[in-house]
Amino acid sequence: MDILLKLFLLFLKVNLLSTSGPASVGLLYHEVVVGKLVTESQFVQAVGLSSVLPGSDALQLAMYIGYAIGGISGGLVALAASILPPTLIILGVTMILHRVRREAWVGNFVEGLAPAISVLMLFTAWKIFQKGGATGWQGWAIGIVSLIAMSLKVPERIVVVIAALVGVFFLS
Amino acid sequence: MKPSKFSVWLNLLWMFLKVNILSPSGPASIGLLYKEAVGKIMTEAQFVEAVGFSNVLPGSEALKLAMFVGFAAGGIPGVFTALLGAILPPTVMMLIVASVLQQFQHANWLDGFVAGLSPAVAALIIVVAWELFRASTRKKIDRRVVLIAVLSAVAFWFEVPSPLVLLGAGILGVFIYGRRSYG
Repeated sequence: MDILLKLFLLFLKVNLLSTSGPASVGLLYHEVVVGKLVTESQFVQAVGLSSVLPGSDALQLAMYIGYAIGGISGGLVALAASILPPTLIILGVTMILHRVRREAWVGNFVEGLAPAISVLMLFTAWKIFQKGGATGWQGWAIGIVSLIAMSLKVPERIVVVIAALVGVFFLS
Repeated sequence: MKPSKFSVWLNLLWMFLKVNILSPSGPASIGLLYKEAVGKIMTEAQFVEAVGFSNVLPGSEALKLAMFVGFAAGGIPGVFTALLGAILPPTVMMLIVASVLQQFQHANWLDGFVAGLSPAVAALIIVVAWELFRASTRKKIDRRVVLIAVLSAVAFWFEVPSPLVLLGAGILGVFIYGRRSYG
């Protein structure tokens, strides 16, 4: 199949089955890393950088992964596929908002989605940790310290930047 | 004097460019957007409703919120103006970073970069997963949430394709959450 079409369908699917950028990481990982479209290392860069740079994580993930797979046109196609589902849904909702209040079943669908997404993310976190590089005591140390820092409400992007710098200076 | 449509759109575009340059992610942009929009473009109740909808519908959160605010300010053209403002900053920045980094895929320092980044990214994913799980249970751990979590864990363990598992979880949600009134 044409790679651009494949990218388009992939991001369409991911954006229909998740509610925000970070939540789409689990599903995206299975589609692009397990599907061998990008390397483990590229995926980690995409997630790390999208959490550091300002603006929507979901779009940045799409941009990075799309670019890594298919250059600029790949990035644009991934972007379009990520924008399309929410735009069409919102246009639909705003147009019928006056008559239909909350569609209960859509809410229930997303509510059922949430625990499954959380579990998928845990599986993904473990795989990224295992294959990402530093798995010795250094990796555990960075991971545990990051986890503690984030649960103490240290801004996530600061934690991510520091971990990457530690990597550049001590692990390369 | 009523401001012209053009200046409404221009303000909207500027507002979303600003919010998206200053905030790291969708959820974080809500606070900033609140200050910019409530009282000027929409009422507090409208804003809360928009946030609620953004959480309930599939797709990127930040985009949905932007489109709701855009609609309140300028109708359908407002939706597209807000969308443009929300899309441009993150993607242009990412495009630049991505194109630079692709040049260094075989550099030594990048290996270290990724080695350090991986555990932190794993930690980040765990934290977000926990927040998502907690948000879905509202106040107390619900039996139905645990049921879906356990079933999907089993399914992932046996390597059922993840889109199928998510789809199944959503459909299960439609059935077991059944009739419930929304506020």
